[in-house]
Amino acid sequence: MAWTGIILGLIFGIILQRGRICFNSAFRDVKLFKDNYLMKFAAMVIALQTLTFLLFAQFGWITLNPKPLNWVGNIIGGYIFGLGMVLAGGCASGVTYRTGEGMTTAWFAAIFYGLTAYATKAGIFKPWLDWVSKFNMKVEYTTPIYSSKAGPTLPSVLHLNPWIVGIIFAGLLLWYTFGTKTTKRQSKLGIKTAAVILAILAPIAWIASAASGRNYGFGITGGWIGLFKSFLAGSPLSWEAWEIIGIIIGAMISAKLAGEFKLRMPKNPITYLQVMIGGFLMGLGAVTAGGCNIGHFFTGVPQMAIGSIIASIFFILGNWTMAWLLFGRD
Amino acid sequence: MAKYEVTKTIDVRGEVCPVPDVETKRALKKMKSGEILEVLIDYPMSKERIPETVKKLGHEVLEIEEVGGSEWKIYIKVK
Repeated sequence: MAWTGIILGLIFGIILQRGRICFNSAFRDVKLFKDNYLMKFAAMVIALQTLTFLLFAQFGWITLNPKPLNWVGNIIGGYIFGLGMVLAGGCASGVTYRTGEGMTTAWFAAIFYGLTAYATKAGIFKPWLDWVSKFNMKVEYTTPIYSSKAGPTLPSVLHLNPWIVGIIFAGLLLWYTFGTKTTKRQSKLGIKTAAVILAILAPIAWIASAASGRNYGFGITGGWIGLFKSFLAGSPLSWEAWEIIGIIIGAMISAKLAGEFKLRMPKNPITYLQVMIGGFLMGLGAVTAGGCNIGHFFTGVPQMAIGSIIASIFFILGNWTMAWLLFGRD
Repeated sequence: MAKYEVTKTIDVRGEVCPVPDVETKRALKKMKSGEILEVLIDYPMSKERIPETVKKLGHEVLEIEEVGGSEWKIYIKVK
């Protein structure tokens, strides 16, 4: 059932392309341009997913599976990933959908990101990952909402019902979304519509992915690893790898229909070197952290996983550091 | 015949996000009041974000002209 990934990926790719959804921009624009447009999207989609995930889990359609907490990996890997995405000109999902839009720099970023992620998972950097993995921390869950052994979450740490914590968590994020001033932007697909569609799509993707034997929602890093594993070692494509193919094709179709597909090349070839270094840091960072901005930020934070929240804070700090170094000093 | 009396042109087609935005800001900083900056761009997201950033800085966006497949010219009048 791994092939269902391509269908979910297609829809995801179209929404990402039309909504211009890039978490690299979301994090950076708040600091660099004092523009919170995409950060508002992020807050809203996380809030809504917190509720849809709990709902689907309550009905027994999915079993939440928060990633393990790993102070060392989440902090170091998260920071490296954050630095990398600014150099690469996009986050994990950003470079993936821009690959489909014809952004040639994104191709190089994605290739180096996928290859380095694979090298960290199973190649030359594996000893590093083995060492980091020693700090993985999981807890036991008795409620059927969660896997019996998974990473700690806000409700598990606070010893409270997940619904109570979830509603407060979502409420705070929605207050930020609607209660504070939003930067204006003319866009083909508004952030609110995009957030609602994705909050419904994400748990459905989880059901499809779980049916293939992978109990998790949307992800990107594992998908690129799966693609290269298939390409280089002949393994069958995983659900997540199919999802990546779907995102690229979906973004390509969407861009073509909107007249936005174009082979874009920078005038200064040094840019290619910059995005390759960025991709390298993203691959190393994401696998060290146990996930990227989709696995951790988009899918992990709505499960209120402590590890995902910490990793996300360091994605943002790394992003701000590199954005300041490259663009922020004038 | 040019539409506007352009003082300066920057071509940021093909550049990685957010280079077009940053280059626009840098160019505007060096220009004098009343001068017109022309920005050549091919990335849809920057086309949507640059006008908003520029307006916030107090400059005037004269026009966003579509000049080809996924290519635009943004004309900005410096405040």
